[in-house]
Amino acid sequence: MKLFKGKEKKGFIIGIDGVPYSLLTTYIKNDIMPNLKKILNDGLAFHQMNASIPDISSVSWTSFNTGVNPGEHGIYGFTDLKPDSYSLYFPNSKDIQAPPFWEILGKTNQKTSPLCQDYCNKISHPCRSIIFNVPHTYPASPMNGILVSGFVAIDLKKATFPESAYAYLHSIDYLIDVEAEKAKEDKAAFMKSLFECFEIRKKAISHFLAEESWDLFFACITETDRLHHFFFDATMDKENIYHESFLRFYREVDQFIKYLYEQYRKRCPEKGFFMILSDHGFAPVKKEVYINRFLEEKGFLVLKDRGNFYERIEPHTKAFNLDPCRIYVHGEDAYPRGTVKKEEKTALLEEIKKSLRGLRGENGDEIIDKIYEKEEIYHGPHTRMAPDLVCLPRDGYDLKGSLEKKEVFGDNIFKGMHTWHDAFCILPENINFLKKPSVESLTEHILQYFTQ
Amino acid sequence: MDHLTRLENKSIYIIREAYYQFKEIAMLWSVGKDSTTLLWLCRKAFFGHIPFPIIHIDTGYKFPEMYQFRDERAKEWNLNLLIGKNEEKLKEGMGPNQGSKLDCCNELKTNALKMVIKKLNLKAILLGIRRDEHGIRAKERYFSPRDSQFKWDYENQPAELWDQYQSTVEEEEHFRIHPLLHFTEFDIWDYVKREKLPIVPLYFSKNGKRFRSIGCVTCCSPIDSEAKNIEEIVEEIRISKTSERSGRAQDKENIYTMQKLRALGYM
Repeated sequence: MKLFKGKEKKGFIIGIDGVPYSLLTTYIKNDIMPNLKKILNDGLAFHQMNASIPDISSVSWTSFNTGVNPGEHGIYGFTDLKPDSYSLYFPNSKDIQAPPFWEILGKTNQKTSPLCQDYCNKISHPCRSIIFNVPHTYPASPMNGILVSGFVAIDLKKATFPESAYAYLHSIDYLIDVEAEKAKEDKAAFMKSLFECFEIRKKAISHFLAEESWDLFFACITETDRLHHFFFDATMDKENIYHESFLRFYREVDQFIKYLYEQYRKRCPEKGFFMILSDHGFAPVKKEVYINRFLEEKGFLVLKDRGNFYERIEPHTKAFNLDPCRIYVHGEDAYPRGTVKKEEKTALLEEIKKSLRGLRGENGDEIIDKIYEKEEIYHGPHTRMAPDLVCLPRDGYDLKGSLEKKEVFGDNIFKGMHTWHDAFCILPENINFLKKPSVESLTEHILQYFTQ
Repeated sequence: MDHLTRLENKSIYIIREAYYQFKEIAMLWSVGKDSTTLLWLCRKAFFGHIPFPIIHIDTGYKFPEMYQFRDERAKEWNLNLLIGKNEEKLKEGMGPNQGSKLDCCNELKTNALKMVIKKLNLKAILLGIRRDEHGIRAKERYFSPRDSQFKWDYENQPAELWDQYQSTVEEEEHFRIHPLLHFTEFDIWDYVKREKLPIVPLYFSKNGKRFRSIGCVTCCSPIDSEAKNIEEIVEEIRISKTSERSGRAQDKENIYTMQKLRALGYM
């Protein structure tokens, strides 16, 4: 019988993009999410969790998927500069330097990582996974099962493996994402499109859940993140015209979680592995803070008027920022026009840190909460390409990478900003954490479950 | 009937049909190869006297060769040429190096066009887009409705069977009419060659480089090419077609990615 033991195992993971622990706690208490409340009593524990640093979806989901830190997986943001140049590019799944857990479990991994080495020999039979709408998995790589990429996927065909899955998605007019551009022109229409997009997402998830066999099912809901970006001021404020829609969205999420949990239970009456998590939290925005403008005003950054993005960097530049707050020293050994010498770097970093700590909002609020040097938080072979400094802000101050701003502080249409400290996870209660869990610390428990 | 004549006939049929349906119509002329071909077809459709205005949206950043070509042709072909410009934004200093390129395009092209449409109360405009330009254009119609926000609801479009074109329009809408939809890039060059159409000299190779598409000076870069005349361009396109498109597909993905990231504030 032992031969078949692995086959009985079922893992089920629901990702809800950008849902904060604190908001979920409140909504459970206020009976907005009664089904989730019930599920939590079924042998699960609910934790507050730290996101990756920086706390944006591409980095955080990649950290979860691979179970390692950016120094190992090589993804630091939605944007990066090509080596030894100022040209901006958009890292995608092909740039990830560590295998995701479904490739490890499916024995299809092309790359390796410390976590992979620990577990790859313990897998008795390859697991078949369905990975649905997980961010930063585009373009879809061949794997054991079905994969449909999430944000930022552009071409649905390239976002799908295998091709048969594409045929189905195409037939239902599947949407990869809402058009966030819409929110600028017509917020009410955008709200409506969030519900529509969620509908089609549910339809597709339910289809794969019902029609396909799987050992591991992992589906993400992205709409929550979009909802928060544009409507986070509506979370608790009864006067806000979108308050009811906001709550209705969470009620629908709650209903869907109930449905998924029942489906999972049907297939796995006992000893399964069930998990829900978000990749970062959210908080209301008071101001956007343009770090490059700040570096310019402090004399660290010099930009010429003409040129594309970072091509504008002049030789006297000492440091520059990539979104959200990844500060890179303009070293002579790293950039074509770089002038900062190796021996000057330590003093320069201290100087920048001091300036950043002194950054204050209109009413004297401190803006920067934490500043890390890369060696403090990143470990692994790809730490070389990491930013020299990474900052986390106080809630309310959204740090940004724009190069085009003429003021340090500004307003935008966004009502919510990401937070690092307020993501959440729900997982079996027998899993204990010695300290507050971080997003990449969860993955090992999935591998452990399947290799026990 | 040969291939090019068939394409030409179809385009002329659409142009005439459009003029019959809409009194308030105009043609958009960017001075590039496609819209110059469209202009040529409009002249043919009406025997040399185009009965509607030709609009050129001028961002103020076009190549000098383009302005010269535009003014020469306007005179030679006796065009009712109207220039659309977003004067207000230009005065404010909007340009490719001021703010983002997307904002620049949006203000100096899209919004300038919106102003012209409103001012002339146009119900339809003729454009020189082709189906093979982008993946999304595969879904385009010859008669393609746009709402007041310029949005194209591609999931809700009339069918176009047996040359029957749907052309009823809501109060706030206008129609985009695309008589060149069935031309490919290669067809355009082949047609330019056959008709001996004058074309902006920027398309021809100078010092080993030529422009494959032209627009604003700051946003166009030339490709490596030795093609010094139409014959050589036709030959070049015949051979290099696939690689040219794959390069464009990646550019396009990058543009979409950028738009998506921007819309959520990540850039």
